[in-house]
Amino acid sequence: MRRIIRRSDLRDDAARDVSDELRFHLEMRAQEFIERGMSPEDARRAAARAFGDLGAIDAELRHEGALRDRVRARRDRLHELVADIRFALRTLRKNAGFTAATLATLALGIGAATAVFTVVNGVLLRPLPYPDPSRLLMVWMSSKQYGEELPISSGFYSDLAAGTKSLAQTAAFRSWRYTFAPSNATDAEQVEGARVTPSFFDVLGVRPAIGRGFTDADAAVGAPPAVILSDALWRRAMGGDRGVVGRQLEMSGQRFTILGVMPPNFSFPRGAELPAGLSFGARTQLWTPMGFTEKDRQSYATQNLAAIVRLRPGATAPQFHTTISAILERWRLAVAPKLDLHYSVATLIEQAGEHVRRGLLFLLAAVGLLLCIAWANVTSLLVARTTRRRREFAVRAALGAGRARIAAQLVTENIILAVAGSILGLAISIWATRAMLALVPGSMPRADDIAVDWRVMLAVSAMALVAGIAFGLAAATQAGFAHVASSLRDGTRSSTGRRSTLGRRGLVVAEVALSLMLMIGAALLTVSFAQLQRVEPGFDPSHVFTAGVGLPVPGEFNPKRDGPEWARFFRALQDRLARTPGVEAAGAVSALPLADAVETGSTATIGEPPPIPGKAHATEYLVTEGDYFRAMRISLLGGRTFNSADVAEGPPVIIVNREYARKYLGGTAAALTHQIRLFADFSGGRDVRSVVGVVENVQSVALDSPVQPQVYVPQQQMNYPGLSVVVRTRDDPTAALPLLRRQMKDADSRAAMEHPRAMQRVFDESLARQRFSMTLITVFAVAALVLAMIGLYGVISLMVSNRRREIGVRMALGARAADVLRMILAEGVVIAAVGVAVGLVGAFALSRFVATLLYGVSPTSTAIYVGAAVITILVTTAATLAPARRATTVDPTVALRSD
Amino acid sequence: MAGSDIFTGTLDLLILKAVSWGPRHGYAIGRWIRETTSEDVIVHEGVLYPALHRLGRRGWLTEQWGVTDTGREAKYYSLTSDGRAQLRAETKRWSRFSSAVSKALTSSPA
Repeated sequence: MRRIIRRSDLRDDAARDVSDELRFHLEMRAQEFIERGMSPEDARRAAARAFGDLGAIDAELRHEGALRDRVRARRDRLHELVADIRFALRTLRKNAGFTAATLATLALGIGAATAVFTVVNGVLLRPLPYPDPSRLLMVWMSSKQYGEELPISSGFYSDLAAGTKSLAQTAAFRSWRYTFAPSNATDAEQVEGARVTPSFFDVLGVRPAIGRGFTDADAAVGAPPAVILSDALWRRAMGGDRGVVGRQLEMSGQRFTILGVMPPNFSFPRGAELPAGLSFGARTQLWTPMGFTEKDRQSYATQNLAAIVRLRPGATAPQFHTTISAILERWRLAVAPKLDLHYSVATLIEQAGEHVRRGLLFLLAAVGLLLCIAWANVTSLLVARTTRRRREFAVRAALGAGRARIAAQLVTENIILAVAGSILGLAISIWATRAMLALVPGSMPRADDIAVDWRVMLAVSAMALVAGIAFGLAAATQAGFAHVASSLRDGTRSSTGRRSTLGRRGLVVAEVALSLMLMIGAALLTVSFAQLQRVEPGFDPSHVFTAGVGLPVPGEFNPKRDGPEWARFFRALQDRLARTPGVEAAGAVSALPLADAVETGSTATIGEPPPIPGKAHATEYLVTEGDYFRAMRISLLGGRTFNSADVAEGPPVIIVNREYARKYLGGTAAALTHQIRLFADFSGGRDVRSVVGVVENVQSVALDSPVQPQVYVPQQQMNYPGLSVVVRTRDDPTAALPLLRRQMKDADSRAAMEHPRAMQRVFDESLARQRFSMTLITVFAVAALVLAMIGLYGVISLMVSNRRREIGVRMALGARAADVLRMILAEGVVIAAVGVAVGLVGAFALSRFVATLLYGVSPTSTAIYVGAAVITILVTTAATLAPARRATTVDPTVALRSD
Repeated sequence: MAGSDIFTGTLDLLILKAVSWGPRHGYAIGRWIRETTSEDVIVHEGVLYPALHRLGRRGWLTEQWGVTDTGREAKYYSLTSDGRAQLRAETKRWSRFSSAVSKALTSSPA
């Protein structure tokens, strides 16, 4: 049974195919019956009967045929795609150098951009981890004299909570540290907690994972102390025991009943996203209830609360603001008409990102430039490669490959590059995000919310898409396989298309311009950082060790009752430390410079007319113990520092800084003759304090903030339960830690320590944000310059190899090597110069956006602009030198013969 | 139309078996099935063709037009490698199934 097989696609008419097949069957079957002796007529009928319903079968077959064709077409396309991918991978593998360069450039660009975007997304874009977060508002007070984002008092809070019941649900909270020993074996530590009104968790919309939240009864006067733990503290201190509710926990010398445990990742308030003045920890670890007595509701003076509200459906932030402003205005007119005080509201998400928004957006813009350079470079590499492959395409076209097939092939290759580069980039970004956050430990708001989410994935996909489109266009405009014949005939010579080199030069000009802009940005931030480090902080952080030391405060904060005990403890600790060998000087302060929130108050000079309310002398005030000024090396400009005679029973004394003396007392010498009242202390300004000394200004908040008036009061005359101890040592300051711990325990076994570290670290961490921006943009700028160099090198190399024949002719006609070198170099310098000109204009146009990030340097500093331009020209010229040198080695005879 | 699943499965299996020795056209396949099964499986020969095409769509058979020894044009079906694997798997499954059925039918009530 041998036969010639026909190609089935010659019979592509499906209907005829079916009827032919069935006819054949019926005829063969009839033949069978005839052979058995039937008449032809009977045989045909018998065959039809045996077959069944011919019409139905025929219809079913046609339907089946259509289905089959569709399935086959799909299978063919899939095979084609698989073949394309296989071919693309083979081609990419064959050109390992090109592939590696493209992937590395793309992955670095996308990786850096994704990392910065991940941080921006987490800090500025992602919704906060609370339900319906856009309805959460923070309420602050503000005044011209004292500044913005001030806390509010229990009196103001009570008024606004009572007056806005229909608009919003309100809660107040404040930071509160508890001393607490996780187990008998470990030392007591200070735990960052918050005291909150019972509505706090409802306002945020988060319920405890175990147990219950607070009720009004928990916050009532005389209610048994209660606490709710964070998930982290519960795991660390309770071993994650689910039966913990109802158990007692000893903290700060008091027994608290555990009511519940919050879900994982709930740690509001988080210090980095609220004003530093409230001194919340990076993550709040426990919450205790806070209630207001009738007296608290009438108390307007003590500004120590933060307020958060959740707007009810239909209420708006402006409406809420108008309502509380009216409440405040009524109070003001009735009680203190001259007081300059306002409410400000901000959504929690604005509040959280506010201080880093500008810096982050600047970095995002910078990394955007880097990404553009990376795209331009890769596109330029691909154009060059496609140009070199013109002959390959032409040959394939001549062998019968359709234009669409070759295009599909090129697109497949480019998509593989774009996708692989993006995946690599995403991997790099995950590492880079971690590295970035490590530069700013604890000070990046919402650091816990930073994660790769759908927005990040969308951004990466968009970057991959742009890359894919750019590459596709590059391939389409440059492949030139349309002119098969001319490509074959002309060979590589035809690749000096005027348009193609113009396009590539344009890309390189853009790269040079963008990298110059980045370099100027990097230089501005670096100079600014250097200026900041040169700022005289007013103290010497080297050889100083510091730690927070505190006594437990059981129940209400009551300095009248507990003050003498605090005074005794710190005096005893100072005496012990001062006697310890290796310690040069030891002291303590209520607010450590550049670290702790400094307290502000007002003063009045004795003998001057009493200050108008709201117009008093504003000043920062600090409480010190022991030899604080000598331990920190804060210079004494006049008078004396505190000594052992400045005790509670002694005459009230005060030390002012140079700025205070200049601003309020007529200079250093005159200051020592004055007496002042400080309205911040617990005596309510009753004490008349003699100015006994004037000291140098200290940068208390940040190195780049303006100098403020400051006053110091001895702790013995204004008792604090917790201070930052500073110890100046002769050698390694960290060796002071065990000494400090032992002396603290010996002075009082209940005392607890927190945050021990070298003062130098405090100083360095205060610059963490600036260092973060500077480091990142410098990395970007260097990467950009390298990419621009590679881009220029590529363009000039291609130009040289395309013009070998021309160069050969020139040399044959007598041009010397120096002439050729000059000619090629000139090409590179022209591209670089145009790029530099464009970049200078771009940097100048964007300079005002950088201004707020700078300290001590003008955003349009001529020196930096000129310096960066010169460096860019030199570096890019260097990049053209190698191909230019190669051009001079062209052998005229070889060049003329080669195609 | 083909009847129950068991029937369809049986017919498919027989078709695959019929072409396992080499390409055959529909008529020859039908005749082989008629002869080996004493005409029990196929009531109407027409159901054979939808089954052939269905197997083609699944990629178990390929078809090509050819010429018979008597010089007539006919569509020939042959087994693909997928079809051969299917035949092996189905044969195994079918013999397991039929031995289970016959065991059940011949066992005495417990």
